[in-house]
Amino acid sequence: MPGDCHYLEGNANAKRRIEHIRALLGQIGLEPDRVRMYNLSSAMASQFVAITQEMAENIRTLGKNPLRNHNAPISKLESGK
Amino acid sequence: MSDQPSHNGYVSGSNLERVLKAGHFAVTAELGPPQSADGNVIRQKAALLKGYCDAVNITDNQTAIVRMSSIGAGALVVQEGLEPVIQMTCRDRNRLAIQSDLLGAYALGMRNVLCLTGDHQTFGNHPTAKNVFDIDSIQLVQMVTALRDSGTFQCGDALKGQEPRFFIGAAAAPFAGPVEFRPYRLAKKVKAGANFIQTQLVYDIDAFAVFMEKVRSLGLHTQTYILAGVGPLKSPAMARYMKDSVPGILVPNELIEQLEAAGAPWAGKSKDELTKEDKKARSEAWKQVGIQICIDLIKKLRKIEGVAGVHIMAIEWEEAVKPIIEGAGLYPRPVVAEAVN
Amino acid sequence: MIVAEQKPLSEIKTLIGSAEKVLVVGCGTCVTVCFAGGAREAAIVAASLRMSTKLDGNGKQVSDVTVQRQCEWEYLDQIGDQLKEVDVVLSLGCGIGVQAIAERFPDTWVVPGLNTAFLGLPTEQGVWDERCAACGDCILGLTGGICPIARCSKSLLNGPCGGSENGHCEINPEVPCAWQLIYDRLSKMGKLEVLMDIQPPKNWRTARDGGPRKIVREDLRLPAEEE
Repeated sequence: MPGDCHYLEGNANAKRRIEHIRALLGQIGLEPDRVRMYNLSSAMASQFVAITQEMAENIRTLGKNPLRNHNAPISKLESGK
Repeated sequence: MSDQPSHNGYVSGSNLERVLKAGHFAVTAELGPPQSADGNVIRQKAALLKGYCDAVNITDNQTAIVRMSSIGAGALVVQEGLEPVIQMTCRDRNRLAIQSDLLGAYALGMRNVLCLTGDHQTFGNHPTAKNVFDIDSIQLVQMVTALRDSGTFQCGDALKGQEPRFFIGAAAAPFAGPVEFRPYRLAKKVKAGANFIQTQLVYDIDAFAVFMEKVRSLGLHTQTYILAGVGPLKSPAMARYMKDSVPGILVPNELIEQLEAAGAPWAGKSKDELTKEDKKARSEAWKQVGIQICIDLIKKLRKIEGVAGVHIMAIEWEEAVKPIIEGAGLYPRPVVAEAVN
Repeated sequence: MIVAEQKPLSEIKTLIGSAEKVLVVGCGTCVTVCFAGGAREAAIVAASLRMSTKLDGNGKQVSDVTVQRQCEWEYLDQIGDQLKEVDVVLSLGCGIGVQAIAERFPDTWVVPGLNTAFLGLPTEQGVWDERCAACGDCILGLTGGICPIARCSKSLLNGPCGGSENGHCEINPEVPCAWQLIYDRLSKMGKLEVLMDIQPPKNWRTARDGGPRKIVREDLRLPAEEE
């Protein structure tokens, strides 16, 4: 949970990065909500299940990622053809 | 250097200089030019101030809002028979433009100039403008002094004829930071050549007295004429704004309380209950107290050694100058003969 | 160091226009240190452009490469071939880097991905403040090591003005009054008398006001090739 990270500030750093990524996705034109961060420990099994289901439902509402398989640099695209 | 007759001990011969040199308690006021090209605004304001001050400051794009130029308005004021103090800031003009404008101002009959740094343009209505600040206010005082006393431009070249003989002023902010340094900064301005000083608004007499004590210990009051800045408050809100939002202005709480007390007859009504007549009457009541506070401050300032006069800044309220001057016993203004050949 | 910030993605897309093949070029020096245009940023901008243009319906081919410094010909020459393959180069270097690419490869269309902001330093992680105005005539010896040209909003040499209150500048409470800082520093060093000298008007010729500047060191120049 926030403040209880085994790696001390690890989850706080992750939170900042996730917020940055969400903002970036918004600028790109994707829904920021495709990336979310939840806090829990490895002992919280039932919460994990609930969160996974919640996120899955979220993604279903948002719809398929319109960019699946389209984000490769030039060289990879050419080799893939 | 010039074809003028001897200066009879005056550096400029301006009315303000003559009044101060004769030992009278001087009065300067302020005239704010319009945000338009209408010269009649200047004439109307000049009419309100004529006879009630020894010279009138004309602000220069004050708070970085574009207005008719100080020198342009100054020429109109001269025509109306009132003596201007033109204000020159360093914000909008480089050393070429400043010197050029001052030569023109002198030729148009202006004789007093107040040298200022100038509010930064972010305050005004053209915040995207380029910063000039080629020189600062102290260098400006030096430059104008050299034009007059050495007949040289800032680059060292000699003027090719009549030098501009201005009575040179500078501003002082006794309560701006760092407070301990302010008397020394005043000393720098005097060293640079400032003939007179106009201070930022004073509402806190005790704090100003402390400043003046230090100024006197440095001997500055004998080397320059110091005019204390005063200004009538229009309302408790204005007093609070001055206190909280304008750098370098101290407003004692008792003055705010005096203003609020003037509004007491209407204090029972809520904002929506106040009628137009109520608001007008309350505003008049506040203004009366504001003027009285100003009169009282002037009387106290006259008693502080080294204060040679007052500079009344009745911002957009030039009508207040007459009652203030009369109430403070400073009317009529002395008439000092012009320098004779 | 030179401090810069990325332009918004929307502005970058406008600058790229209808070009189909884009090379994003990062820079490994100043803009890496201020997290605006280093290798990581270049990769992210490239990915963002691929994704965003695809969503717009005109997907572009965008790749990225980063050089040690864009402001030296020898580093740019290393990517010369890659530049020829694309329609536009999006430089994430400072303004100097963008111009260097354009100058070294005049047939290449180069657009800037950054706004070069100022010369400054990170006063704390994630915060950069301006420190130097590159006036060409350094006066830090007179002010205890604090620059009034860069740090005073009015570049006063005989400050402070009347807008200094509680140690901050009238334009913004977050901006410290440079002259308050100078006063405190000189006071601490017992050198306040320095402030009583009247500094004369600055010679701005050595600053940008005098025109674009140049330094030539004859002692370092290579002899001209003999015919």
